[in-house]
Amino acid sequence: MTAETIQNASPTTGTAKAISIRDMNKYYGAFHALKDLSIDVEAGEFLVLLGPSGCGKSTALRMIAGLESISSGELLIGDQDVTEVLPKYRDIAMVFQSYALYPHKTVAENIGFPLKMAKATPEEIDSAVRAAADQVELGELLDRLPGQLSGGQRQRVALARAIIRRPSVFLMDEPLSNLDAKLRGNMRAELKHMQGELGITTIYVTHDQIEAMTLAHRVAIMKDGVLQQLGTPKEVYSDPANLFVAGFMGSPPMNFITGKITGGQFAGSGAAFAVAGAADAQSVKVGFRPEDCRIVDKGAGLLDADVFTVEMTGDQVLVTLRLQGEPLVVKMHKDFEINAGVTAGITMDPEHLYFFDGETGARLRTTAQTS
Amino acid sequence: MNEWLDKHMGRLFLAPAVTLILVFSIFPLVASLIMAFARIRFSAGGFKVRFVGWRNFEKQFFGSEQFHLIGTFTQISLLGWIFGLSVTAALLWWIWGYVRRHFTWFGFVGRLITLAMGLGITWLFAGTLLSGNLFGTIGTTLFYVLVGCAIQFVIGTALAYACSKNIRGKTAFRVIFFVPMMITPIGVGYIFRMMADTTKGPFSNVWQWVGLGDFSWAADPWAARIFIVIADSWQWIPFVFIMMLAAFESVSRDLTEAAELDGAGPWQSFREITWPHVLPIAATVMLIRAIEAFKIVDLPNIMTSGGPGIATESVSLQAYYAWRALDLGSASAIAYILLFVTVVICVSFFNLVVLARVRKQP
Amino acid sequence: MSTQLTPKRSIFEAPAIGQMSMATKIVLYTLLLIWTAFVLFPIYWLIITSFKDAADVNQGPFFLPFVDFQPSLHAWKELFVTDYEDTLRAYFNSIIISLSATGLSVLIGSMAAYALSRVAYAPNLITILFFIFLLAMTGVSIGIYGVDWRLAAAVAVALFFFLARAVGNLYQFRLHNGDILFWIISQRILAPIVVVVPIYMMFQTVRLLDTHIAIIITYAVVNMPIVVWLMYDFFNSIPRDLEESAQLDGATMIGTFREIVLPLSRTGLAATTLLVMILSWNEYLLALFLSTTKAQTMPILVAAMNAGERGILWWSMSVAIIVMIIPVVALAIVLQKYISKGLLVGAVKG
Repeated sequence: MTAETIQNASPTTGTAKAISIRDMNKYYGAFHALKDLSIDVEAGEFLVLLGPSGCGKSTALRMIAGLESISSGELLIGDQDVTEVLPKYRDIAMVFQSYALYPHKTVAENIGFPLKMAKATPEEIDSAVRAAADQVELGELLDRLPGQLSGGQRQRVALARAIIRRPSVFLMDEPLSNLDAKLRGNMRAELKHMQGELGITTIYVTHDQIEAMTLAHRVAIMKDGVLQQLGTPKEVYSDPANLFVAGFMGSPPMNFITGKITGGQFAGSGAAFAVAGAADAQSVKVGFRPEDCRIVDKGAGLLDADVFTVEMTGDQVLVTLRLQGEPLVVKMHKDFEINAGVTAGITMDPEHLYFFDGETGARLRTTAQTS
Repeated sequence: MNEWLDKHMGRLFLAPAVTLILVFSIFPLVASLIMAFARIRFSAGGFKVRFVGWRNFEKQFFGSEQFHLIGTFTQISLLGWIFGLSVTAALLWWIWGYVRRHFTWFGFVGRLITLAMGLGITWLFAGTLLSGNLFGTIGTTLFYVLVGCAIQFVIGTALAYACSKNIRGKTAFRVIFFVPMMITPIGVGYIFRMMADTTKGPFSNVWQWVGLGDFSWAADPWAARIFIVIADSWQWIPFVFIMMLAAFESVSRDLTEAAELDGAGPWQSFREITWPHVLPIAATVMLIRAIEAFKIVDLPNIMTSGGPGIATESVSLQAYYAWRALDLGSASAIAYILLFVTVVICVSFFNLVVLARVRKQP
Repeated sequence: MSTQLTPKRSIFEAPAIGQMSMATKIVLYTLLLIWTAFVLFPIYWLIITSFKDAADVNQGPFFLPFVDFQPSLHAWKELFVTDYEDTLRAYFNSIIISLSATGLSVLIGSMAAYALSRVAYAPNLITILFFIFLLAMTGVSIGIYGVDWRLAAAVAVALFFFLARAVGNLYQFRLHNGDILFWIISQRILAPIVVVVPIYMMFQTVRLLDTHIAIIITYAVVNMPIVVWLMYDFFNSIPRDLEESAQLDGATMIGTFREIVLPLSRTGLAATTLLVMILSWNEYLLALFLSTTKAQTMPILVAAMNAGERGILWWSMSVAIIVMIIPVVALAIVLQKYISKGLLVGAVKG
């Protein structure tokens, strides 16, 4: 019923559409900001673009929105080529990091703005605004100005303004990053619920991997304008394509030790074990996640290291050790106790070790063989 | 159609302004240049134009109007020689320093033009005023610009600094000090004629007392010029004041308080913190003021009609009088000379002072 | 030890951080009060003169109304009862001209400033020079050879459209937004005297001399650089997110400008409007050229009071100046809080 009210006044179709990004490039003068990005987003999918700042994810999103021109390549929304189409004809809605609420307009005017621009009648706008506001639970705040709202409420106004357009595609540029930690968790859940309910294709940009993991159907991880890996959250977490993805996903991040492989034998800082199916390599990085390993007595594990600090976070204990100057973090049960300064061993299942080429960062399909 | 409009709206937004400026500013500018090389006679149903080459300019610089535009020249006095030669040496030293340190053709040619203008003004000054001769409208205009701007800058800045302090009645001072800027220059001219009247004006008793009871400001060349500068300053100090006040208020309180905590006195805190912050703004404000000051015409016209003789006539006023005498060629030539002087001086100031300050900022 | 840390205080030294010493305060207030007197006394004299008779003015200085002299309303009556036609006509002319010129200038100027701050332009220099060349040729053919101005304009427009692209391809040198901005702002350097004679002749050709339109357009153009300069920096300080969002929400450039940008620029617009209004209201030289009787503005009327055979009628002049000041002061008081804030944006970055 509410969806219909909005639909009647809306300028757009409201059916989820697939997005096809083909060899998209962006140049700022000589600077190559986005390199040959190709992604096919299915209709109704929630895709997260994840990466550190300056990786080109926001640029990609702004190009999809039409706020930046596409230097080369193609962009299709549905079956329509929109490479040269102005933003407002692309059938999209966007939520900005700053929310971009118009400070001189009330909440109702802000939410109703897209319909006003589409020349809907005041009655249509009014009922659609109420419906959209109800959907994000803003009902009683319609006459306030954005300056009088809390961060979370502003966020909801921005969402309502995006919903009211009934777009085929939602674009979100770090929409939760201006909220405090607790609110962020709540809004994340609400966003996910809402996206599932409306079923609108969504592209979401963030640098926060927890948001990416929890929200996405698929995650696209980017670095320096290049797509590193595209896959489900589980895939990118448990089967990283390269050193960068492995190091970027997970908190605390994956531990790495450096070494080399000669004759099926890995030797590196304080650890040595046999590996299967590996060619000789001068520089290899071996990674393991803090939650995949345990602290054992000195000499009983794969390697030994000195305990540097012990942090109690409530639900678990984070032990940071130092191995020849490099930190290694181990997540232990909350009842675990150890003192800083002692030397301890670290052990893990061999299948939880990841091997990477130390120079290119590429994943080496090698498995460890430990006794 | 709608989409075409959307795509070309950027140009349509800029077009009206550009068209208006092209038609009512650039076109007249070109037309004026053409007229400066012509003799124009009004005849029944229009006007006749005859090109005379550089004649209009020659008349101003070397011919019958020389005294009027640049002044009378006889021999240059000893003082004139000393001043002229020393400034010339200083200017040459400055450009030699530029050539030695960092040389680009663009910068060099620009500085050569600045140098030429500097030398011209220096020898104009040395040849007329320092040699006991009369100077013309260019000298008078430069007097208005330099002396006027200096007075306005010092007083306007001082008042703004005082008002930027935490004092009572700030708003009242601010409103009162702004008032003269709102009065039409014509009005300012008449008001100051009343003020300066030594027999019937408000200060006539003071004049009597100091023995200047029948002195007339408008009859003495220097008194008349100073009198115009005072009126001009009265009107324009508010502009400097309001801009500098905003500049002073934009200095972070944290910085000055930190300086005070570090042991700086009021003078040191002003010199080390406040002044460097407002200096770039001050340079811009004075550039704007100087550009407007070169155009001065209403005050001399109302207060003295350019007299006594031509003592208070500005270049603009001279061009206006030439126009009134239907000598359109000379009017345009004089106006172009003014434009040239203004552009060279203002662009030099902009490049060498304003931009230099901006470049120094991190 | 401690004596070294607290040296002898000078009388100007502040007793605490962020405060002033008594001596500093005395010096400050003295300066400010002297300047207040210097600013206000001429205005006071102007006001009392407007209530004086010829005798009160001519027999020497009288300072206090009702004490030194008996104030009379004769000058006010003269201007608003006897000569009311002239006065009111000039007054209404001034109001119409300065309001229209300010409106036009602020509207067109801020549109241009907005476009320059948001849209990237790259016009070809050669095409522009070709356009100016055609403009000059049109002027010459009208002015010197007496060609009918409609014909000349039509030929120039046709030539431009046929040849612009061909000429532009001769040499590619593109200008950018900064160049256009500088070009517009630099028009302010032009002294009115440089352009006023051709403008006079242009309006004479199209028979618009001594009309409101001629003066309105001229004032709008003369003040446009100020508008563009102040508003450009102001628009630059508005976050782009808002406009991009409006754009995605389906607003056109006009819609964004009207719904989002203008309401957010009230401060800058108020300061700019006031400044342009003051400049147009007080302008003298251009009005002197472009008006004779019908479109005569207040400054011309005031200046003309000098021309009488009885010498200057100080009392009437004072009345005229006072009625000229009143609306500007009223406007300034209304817009007071915007003035310094709005003006500074330009100066700091300009």
